[in-house]
Amino acid sequence: MSAAAHTHDHAHDHAHDHHEPGFIAKYIFSTDHKTIGIQYAISGLLFLLFGFFLMLLMRWSIAYPGQPIPGFQIINSIPGVSWVFNEMIGRWAPGGVVNGELYNMLGAMHGTIMVFLGIVPLGFAGFVNFVMPLQIGTIDMAFPRLNMWSYWLFFVSGVGMLASFFLGTGSVQTGWTMYSPLASTTSLAVTNIWMHGHTWWLLSMVFNISASLLGSVNVITTIINLRAKGLTWMRMPFFCWAMFIVAFLLLLAFPPLEVAALLQLSDRVFGSSFFLPTGLMEGGQHLDISGGGSPLLYQHLFWFLAHPEVYVLILPAFAILAEVIPANTRRPLWGYKAMVYAGLTLGFLSFLVWAHHMYLTGMGTMMSTYFQITTVLISVPSVILLTCLMISLWGGSIRFTPQMLFASAFLPMFGIGGLTGLPLAFTFIDLALHDTYYVIGHFHYVVAPGTIFGLFAGVYHWYPKATGRIMNDFLGKLHFWPSLVGMNLIFAPMFIQGMGGFHRRWYDGGKYFEQTSSVSNWFTELTSGVFGLFGMNVPNNLLGLNVLITFGAIILMLGQVPFILNFWLSIKGGKKVKNDNPWDCTTLEWATPTPPPHGNFTFDIVAVRGPYEYSVPGVNQDFFPQWESSPGKAAEPSAVPAAPAAAHHH
Amino acid sequence: MDIPYTVTARPDTGLYNAKVGIWLFLASEVMLFGGLFSSYIFLRVGADYPWPVHELNVTLGFVNTLVLIGSSVTVLLAWANLKLRNIAKYKMYMIITVLCAGAFMVNKSFEYKAKFQHYSVTLTDGTILTGHLPHGYEIEFGDVTTLNLTVAGKHSAVDADPVDYVLPYIKGEAPKFKTESGEEIVLDKASFTKLRAEAHEKAVAKAKADGLKETPNWNIKLTAASPITFVLPPSKLLAKPVAGATAIAFRDGTTVEGKMINDKMTLEVDGIDLRATPDKEKSLAFNEHYLGEPWKKAFIDQREHAIAEFNEKYGDGKGGTTRDPLKSATHQKHMFFVPIHSATPEVHEHAKAEGEHKAEAHAPAEHGDAHGHHPEVHLERQHVHFFSNFTPKLNSYYAIYFTLTGLHGLHVVAGALVLGYFVVFNGRMLREDPERLANRVEVGGLFWHFVDLVWIFLFPLLYLL
Amino acid sequence: MADSPQEIQKQVKKILLIGAILIFFTVVTVALSYVELPSHSLNIIVGMILATIKAALVALVFMHLNHEAKLVYKVLAFTGAFVTALFLLFYFSNIDPLVFKDF
Repeated sequence: MSAAAHTHDHAHDHAHDHHEPGFIAKYIFSTDHKTIGIQYAISGLLFLLFGFFLMLLMRWSIAYPGQPIPGFQIINSIPGVSWVFNEMIGRWAPGGVVNGELYNMLGAMHGTIMVFLGIVPLGFAGFVNFVMPLQIGTIDMAFPRLNMWSYWLFFVSGVGMLASFFLGTGSVQTGWTMYSPLASTTSLAVTNIWMHGHTWWLLSMVFNISASLLGSVNVITTIINLRAKGLTWMRMPFFCWAMFIVAFLLLLAFPPLEVAALLQLSDRVFGSSFFLPTGLMEGGQHLDISGGGSPLLYQHLFWFLAHPEVYVLILPAFAILAEVIPANTRRPLWGYKAMVYAGLTLGFLSFLVWAHHMYLTGMGTMMSTYFQITTVLISVPSVILLTCLMISLWGGSIRFTPQMLFASAFLPMFGIGGLTGLPLAFTFIDLALHDTYYVIGHFHYVVAPGTIFGLFAGVYHWYPKATGRIMNDFLGKLHFWPSLVGMNLIFAPMFIQGMGGFHRRWYDGGKYFEQTSSVSNWFTELTSGVFGLFGMNVPNNLLGLNVLITFGAIILMLGQVPFILNFWLSIKGGKKVKNDNPWDCTTLEWATPTPPPHGNFTFDIVAVRGPYEYSVPGVNQDFFPQWESSPGKAAEPSAVPAAPAAAHHH
Repeated sequence: MDIPYTVTARPDTGLYNAKVGIWLFLASEVMLFGGLFSSYIFLRVGADYPWPVHELNVTLGFVNTLVLIGSSVTVLLAWANLKLRNIAKYKMYMIITVLCAGAFMVNKSFEYKAKFQHYSVTLTDGTILTGHLPHGYEIEFGDVTTLNLTVAGKHSAVDADPVDYVLPYIKGEAPKFKTESGEEIVLDKASFTKLRAEAHEKAVAKAKADGLKETPNWNIKLTAASPITFVLPPSKLLAKPVAGATAIAFRDGTTVEGKMINDKMTLEVDGIDLRATPDKEKSLAFNEHYLGEPWKKAFIDQREHAIAEFNEKYGDGKGGTTRDPLKSATHQKHMFFVPIHSATPEVHEHAKAEGEHKAEAHAPAEHGDAHGHHPEVHLERQHVHFFSNFTPKLNSYYAIYFTLTGLHGLHVVAGALVLGYFVVFNGRMLREDPERLANRVEVGGLFWHFVDLVWIFLFPLLYLL
Repeated sequence: MADSPQEIQKQVKKILLIGAILIFFTVVTVALSYVELPSHSLNIIVGMILATIKAALVALVFMHLNHEAKLVYKVLAFTGAFVTALFLLFYFSNIDPLVFKDF
């Protein structure tokens, strides 16, 4: 009977056929896309917070090497908390001082958590699950039970990652990239290899990859097969297009990482030599291995995923902005079609650029040349996307809601991140800047003030749909400004440090670097001077910037407090929405009741026009929703001609 | 409130949901196996040893290929019969398919088991001896009077746990131990827990007294009432012991001093591989303590036999050959790999019996032969460069072999579970909505064909070429 | 999808035929692997061609790729392109034609 789901009598069932599921079925093991979306989003936010906390510890060690973490004693005196903190992190920091071992754990886990457990679950899984089925006008994802499995597999992977801190070995220590041979051979002297942080990382990744596989299959199938009547491909909001592309990236790019993880697991647990060359020595001794493998193989497999992963991180932000900007400028999205095609090109090219992360590996001149070309090519669609969004601002009557503030800050921030990446595309520059803070600054500008600002915009934008209440505007602005200042204080000085030769893995922030190079310039002088005004002694050289960056991180941390308060307090205390479409938007998700019930729509929804019909001449309101035949009146399903059967079908 | 297009196809795409889903899933699987196959290419192109050809059991592989092809056919017949509503036949074909999967895995387990029991030992001159370790490989380390246990100051992956990691390897009954305070104890969980707690207390007290930030590691010395001898596989040690070692460290960090009594490796040799030995006739394998002159003679005979055979087969009539003998992997193997089938070498009378070839195209003495018919050698530790059973550790070929076939095997199991689930648990759907079940079987079948398709490439790449 | 009973009967015959062809090709592959061609690479190429033919038969007939919806072809085309990239580049990173020998 499902084929008839769009008919009238069936829609009639929606209201009566509704039996209330129990608490566990409704909120924990739910198959409803909205609940799963919220589960993903909240898990993602918590992981982002935790990853940020790890970064704060690292920043402290960089700015003040050898000094105890402030508040260490206080945390250690709170019963219960002290146990968790000690078993997780404290025991590696004697007297509260971050040492190299702990720093390596923090670094590896910061990267892993932010990328695989923070941004992807929030930006992709959270938003796509909550918003996409509403936006394409369907009742749920194509495979609701797989969707639930996807979340719980992700949950297992998250728990596995966190639990690895508590193991005797601590968590993994070889950087989020887990480069072999170091990662294949390091710290194998344990009584049980299965109870090793590294093994848990690899196994958790296998769970994570399975989760994202289920999620992406679900998303693509839903978009292909469950679009509402009349919602043709070119009437689909850019949000869905971008998520569609992301899902393909996850689907096709993750398996090689799974291969890499399995092979590395084999190297560590079964003693194979996939990534270990013949004759490898450690500590003056030949390792007990056969050899015959190559570290290059690992890097190929890893970056085959990890480069598309960059676009997995950034495209959700573009997706959200494409909704937030038109809604807040009251103008159509500029160049919708160009953005769609640019997105598709970007997705395609992102598979063919991976080895630009490997210029230093000696993989061969032809490979380097080839990847320089593709890398420069891929900047074209990225620029198209950014330019379209920027031009969309032109001539609009902008409402500076918190989501719009974040969205408008995204544009220059991502611009900085993108443009500083261009020089890195060339081998001759990359040779000098590889593994320096310049690279850190570059990709963090893309993903931190870039992607994360985009995600914040999305949270503010769709929060009313999920809860029926609007997040507080003042707290939102109190969240935005310190975040913007903090982000820039953190990442801008990194470019200067990086060009001065600061290496990314110094846990002491280059304490001994000073002896060989005490570079100072107007920026370090300014930094030193400003801190001097507050009576703080900050050296007038590149090391002084460490302190500046750490202060930036603290400002960023303080900036998140209003957000956390706002997020939780607004559930009960926020201003109630005036109607189901509080921002006066045009896309289908705003046609549902607020919050949307199980099954989403109360009437048979059809789409009769494009997604961004704002300020249409001759219409007496400044938005013309997709589902309305005339302002304020939902279109009848009969208004849309039946879709033609596929030509090749018999 | 049903999801649309679970049974019928959406008109404009021509597909029902599950079919879109399975093709996407298969696309992802293509990337997964694509990654593995390209790893195979990468490893093979970069291999610095002769890549094994025909080294696996071709018969088992061939039978498994037939089994998989057959099951691919039966799963389609099951679907066709379900479409025609021949329910009994549908069920029969589904069950045959699942049984085929079972047969495949049973075959595979025979293959794996033989590999686990078969060893390869690389000697320091590059000669490889293959064979069985009749008693496993264990070293004997004796004259030990003191155990040095290290209690880690902080929670660590290497922490004293002698009850689990040291005591099991004592030859005979474990003696009583004397603690530093002179107390005589029987080492067991209870007494060690007590010792450990005392040590930890002392370490904390010292840290406090010296103003240390970190609790230091603490040593516990236990003196044995009578000297101990350990018998253990080297894998239980933190680092492999060098020849003539006077101290060894266990995996829990316990160190003992003493004397290496015996670290010889007893190997029942079933093959000698001389391909990587620079001076083949002076190979360590023909050392008088090992295989000695008769086998050397057998090798020389075999080599000449192989050369004669090669020349006859590929001779161009002008004294040369149409194939480059150095580039012929098979010929190299015929010349330099000596399979051993009996305790003493057979007399190769190739000179007399010309034209009556007994070409030895055996796979390296197929794993799992009866023991006792092979010469036994006692290899000195300093002659052993590397040894492993035929597992991923041995070389990159076996590593990729196990990864590819293991992952493929997991897919076989998963497919069998899914198809088995349809036939066992979907009885209600069979009665009420057979068309939907047919879709399920079709989708499950697509996965099953994919598993077959992967094997179609795996079989020649790993077993034949 | 061919759904009428006659069509399905016809398909059953086709399936059995293809199954037989696959077994035949397997026998040929095994036999050929014992024949020493002028170089071992040639053995590999021949073996892979046979395997590809078998795989194509499975994909086209068993998996109905000879008459599938357009969309499936699109998905597979992209997958094919990326897998090819994965294959070729691994190979080229071992063999680099742009080596400056004359320096």
